Amino acid sequence: MDDRQLLRYSRHILLKDIDIEGQERILSGHVLVIGAGGLGSPVATYLAGAGVGQLTICDGDDVDMTNLQRQTLHREARIGMNKAESSRIEVATLNPDCHVNAVPARVGPEELPELVRQADVVVEASDNFSTRHAVNRVCFALGKPLVSGAAIRFAGQISVYDPRQESSPCYACLFPEDSPVYEDRCASLGVFAPLTGTIGSMQAAEVLHLLVRGQSALTGRLLLYDALAAEWQEMDLPRRPDCPVCSERNSGMTGI
Amino acid sequence: MQAKLKLFASLSDFLPSGAQANQIDIDIGDGESVAAIIERFHLPDRLVHLVLVDGVFIKPEDRAQRDLKDGEVLAIWPPVAGG
Ligand SMILES: [Zn+2]
Repeated sequence: MDDRQLLRYSRHILLKDIDIEGQERILSGHVLVIGAGGLGSPVATYLAGAGVGQLTICDGDDVDMTNLQRQTLHREARIGMNKAESSRIEVATLNPDCHVNAVPARVGPEELPELVRQADVVVEASDNFSTRHAVNRVCFALGKPLVSGAAIRFAGQISVYDPRQESSPCYACLFPEDSPVYEDRCASLGVFAPLTGTIGSMQAAEVLHLLVRGQSALTGRLLLYDALAAEWQEMDLPRRPDCPVCSERNSGMTGI
Repeated sequence: MQAKLKLFASLSDFLPSGAQANQIDIDIGDGESVAAIIERFHLPDRLVHLVLVDGVFIKPEDRAQRDLKDGEVLAIWPPVAGG
């Protein structure tokens, strides 16, 4: 770190659980963020501000007026621009230490393996189950920790799935892939703006713990947030012994 | 006997009139199970994902045996994927 960086990250370096070594790990970290919307906005903002060296941000949608109530990465002047590209522009103004690779596409099983392979940690911030299942499969095939958040109306959930931890479930242990597909779009159900900030900020926190310490205390636990009652609940998430995605991972990884 | 029913996200559309902030106090019968409440409020299977009573997760296979008691809070979450 140079003098400018020692100053810029001084409030993290002061924390004994981060310190210089932790900050250096953050600076050399590469995080893949799937979705640059309500959750992706606080995730990318906090990770860029904290000095994560590389962010790969994927989103196939364009910024529109209805996003701006909560998606703090975007600006009215960028309505119509791809969201990954809009994120890249915003992050550049925040921290030159953070290099953003913008992927202006809805990523799926074709693109994900290469993107996940390059990342240290993957953040799930997309708005649909098919992307979430595809990301989960690739993370468990390649052994990359996945920080998964969701928010709709006044309800939020967050957990961490870490294939490197033997007791960790995967996303499909909680949401089986063969469940009936049902999409809860913000466009039809609505979403409370600061709820996405709460869940996304917690995702950013777990990413930093994974970069600094190599593990997250949220692995194997699901937090449920009720933004109307200002209440959190939590439950343990066990592995599903018959999960088609992760049950065989100790005797060889499942295919992608 | 009364319990509190809390339904989240898309499931909140199934709350009866009079519900406020995702929740309502409901009368419950002696020995009325979690599964019976789910049926009484016509909650679709595909939307009943996580069921918690007083913050404790109730496995799907235990819903029919777990009777609701006076004063307990039954919280039900659908699958959520919004981002
Ligand atoms: Zn699994």
